[in-house]
Amino acid sequence: MIEENTQSKQPEKKDENPLTEDLSEKPAGKLKFNYDKHYKLLLVIPVIILLASLIYLGIFYSKNGDIIYRDVSLSGGTSITINGEINQEILEAGLRTKFPDVSFTKLEDITSRKEIALIVESSADSEELKSEIESILGYELTDENSSIEFTGSSLSRDFYRQLITALIISFILMSIVIFLLFRTFVPSAAVIFAVFADIAIPLAIVDILEIKLSAAGIAAFLMLIGYSVDTDILLTSRALKSREGTINARIFKAFKTGIFMTLVALVAVLPAFFLVTGLPDSFRQIFLILAIGLSADVLNTWLTNASIIKWYCEKKGIQ
Amino acid sequence: MKLGLRLWILIIVLLLSLLSIAPWKMFDKGVSIKSVEANSTAFNQGLKQGQTIEFVDGKKIDTLSDFSRIISEKNFSSNNSMKTVIITNQGEFILFSDSAPEITVSELPKSNIKTGLDLSGGSRALVKAKDKDLSASEINDLVDVVSNRLNVYGISDVQISSVSDLSGNNFMLVEIAGATPKDLKDLISQQGKFEAKIGNQTVFIGGEKDITSVSRSGQEAFIETCQQAADGYACTFRFTIYLSEEAAKKHAEITKALSLNTTQQGRYLNETLDLYLDDNLVDNLLISEDLKGRITTQVSISGPGVGATQEEAFNDAEENMNKLQTILITGSLPYQLEIVKLDTISPNLGREFTRNIIVLGILVFIIISAVLFVKYRKIKITFSVIMTMFSEAFITLGIAALISWNLDAPSIAGIIAGMGTGVNDQIVIIDESVSNRHISIKERIKRALFIILGAFFTIIAAMLPLFWAGAGMLKGFALTTIIGVTVGILVTRPAFANIIKKMEE
Repeated sequence: MIEENTQSKQPEKKDENPLTEDLSEKPAGKLKFNYDKHYKLLLVIPVIILLASLIYLGIFYSKNGDIIYRDVSLSGGTSITINGEINQEILEAGLRTKFPDVSFTKLEDITSRKEIALIVESSADSEELKSEIESILGYELTDENSSIEFTGSSLSRDFYRQLITALIISFILMSIVIFLLFRTFVPSAAVIFAVFADIAIPLAIVDILEIKLSAAGIAAFLMLIGYSVDTDILLTSRALKSREGTINARIFKAFKTGIFMTLVALVAVLPAFFLVTGLPDSFRQIFLILAIGLSADVLNTWLTNASIIKWYCEKKGIQ
Repeated sequence: MKLGLRLWILIIVLLLSLLSIAPWKMFDKGVSIKSVEANSTAFNQGLKQGQTIEFVDGKKIDTLSDFSRIISEKNFSSNNSMKTVIITNQGEFILFSDSAPEITVSELPKSNIKTGLDLSGGSRALVKAKDKDLSASEINDLVDVVSNRLNVYGISDVQISSVSDLSGNNFMLVEIAGATPKDLKDLISQQGKFEAKIGNQTVFIGGEKDITSVSRSGQEAFIETCQQAADGYACTFRFTIYLSEEAAKKHAEITKALSLNTTQQGRYLNETLDLYLDDNLVDNLLISEDLKGRITTQVSISGPGVGATQEEAFNDAEENMNKLQTILITGSLPYQLEIVKLDTISPNLGREFTRNIIVLGILVFIIISAVLFVKYRKIKITFSVIMTMFSEAFITLGIAALISWNLDAPSIAGIIAGMGTGVNDQIVIIDESVSNRHISIKERIKRALFIILGAFFTIIAAMLPLFWAGAGMLKGFALTTIIGVTVGILVTRPAFANIIKKMEE
């Protein structure tokens, strides 16, 4: 599956460029012909990536019985955050035999880069894990020096199921709004298809990166639905509702606005993404997923959705 | 330049938000009363939760340490009543007592913005009945009993509520700010079914029906003896309870039938009074002969405490006593409970997180401003976008303060993400209005608003399900996002469109 990893990430970067070049040079009239001729080809690229993602998710599901890796808040278990600089090696050596599924994350301060805490996660009960850590470290864990979060396994299963339900409801509600907004089938379906890809591709990337999703992470996918759709609305309304210039010019104008919007949204979320540590886990995941999703959205809006809209306009004779 | 109506609305809403957030509170001096023990001297004199203590005995109180220093310097000791004069923002209170004022205090909040447990520290427990689905009214009864129990135990600053989730499950949510009591788990989930039995007959049970009062201090509740035991020390606590007439009669009837036993310690009845807590034997008490067949309302209850050192054993006994007293007063919970989620967050780490989030917020602000300036190269436009972005975040905070919403990390993520969508909308407005100059600016703005409204409704639709999923744990994320975009649509976006229109004209 490693090949697919590189496959689904590289084209994303490569293919933004041809489009940008294509369109930015369009006023000179040179490459306009190219876009007109090959735009359906551009549609193939995101579709391949989407298919690869879906296949990857399918294989992932058959292997793991689920489409994501869940953290303890969604699979049940304990997460203990120990404040201060903790020797991870000693702790790991001591815990590994009794808690084979134990995992560690370090938290650093944003400015000083000093380690501020170590997170220990396991599916074990909080009392067991706590007392074992206490005996290794040689001091008691109190609320002065640690945080302990425990989620029972049946509750976490429930949470997970509900969040997935919420994601589906959210998608349906978004689809209804889009249909009400445009009232025509193909353009609406194109937007909804692009949003679907905006969720499916990041899901696959999150799996490839082996990120364990928390409840907040899944909530971020819901937000992604709302967040990524505005460029699609921009594109569709510019293409269909206004009559200035050619369809290419309108798509290009929408692209210029939209890509800047995505850029701004990305710079809003990227600082949290680079300064990944030293922030609450819920916070980090929300921004991580928005960052991945917005990048995927560039592809899905300006290759998938734009191509479908152009094709639709050609069929309908919209100039 | 004349300000339009929309700009005036923005300015007024900003001022209201400022009032709501009240950042000047950070200059306030004093300490705030978090809780007052029921029926204590402090309580009877009228001290109340929420009052701000400004002076104690004429000395100014600025911080928490001022307060604790002055109180500890007074050296309260029993049988020596002292006068304490407490001046609060709601008047002067004079206390005569041999013990320190029975209140807990905390530092004054720096503003009206409240942060959630993951940033301020504290504990949160989500509780449900074991093997039983509780109805909404059953949950409400449960909330009452547990609130009472935590109050009696002396835990302050606790919020208990019922929450339900997407699949119709009802939970009890217990949130405690600040330090976490050691035995929180027991207090919340222990059913606390207390029974006093002689043989297999129940004499009385916990709760106010059988027990009219429980002594909690002085000569009638204390740690009796401490001895070295097999592995460490063992102490015994003892306190007096008063039975109702009915329970006392039952006691008389049952003891009447018992015979006498002569032991080295004295003459006792041949059966003991066995105390059970959740069906586990806590202690058995010998019943002295003079109680046989007598209607007595006064019963002495005892129990153990153990520890490696004498001090530990003493503390353990004290804790067990407090817990048992609490259960006897409040009675048992109607169901066996199960804690399905228990989080205790260290206030120290929360402070670190808060600091990092503020740094991040400022960073995001600066980077967005820089990107906008690079793109538009116009101070005026860049400045309006930034001010609008700032206004949105500020008004969202103001509304959160107004509805006393506890801002947790996801809520703040929602505000930052909301800032991102806000800027996006303004980019649409700018691009729509500076292009297509051959159509009227009004028409151009209208087109921009179509896109913005579309994006607004989709984000609302997308976030709505989060209000119910996962027992509302992520409600904050949805709430701040929705508040943010709504403020955008109703207040800041029209004002911004106005500014751009003016610039265009």
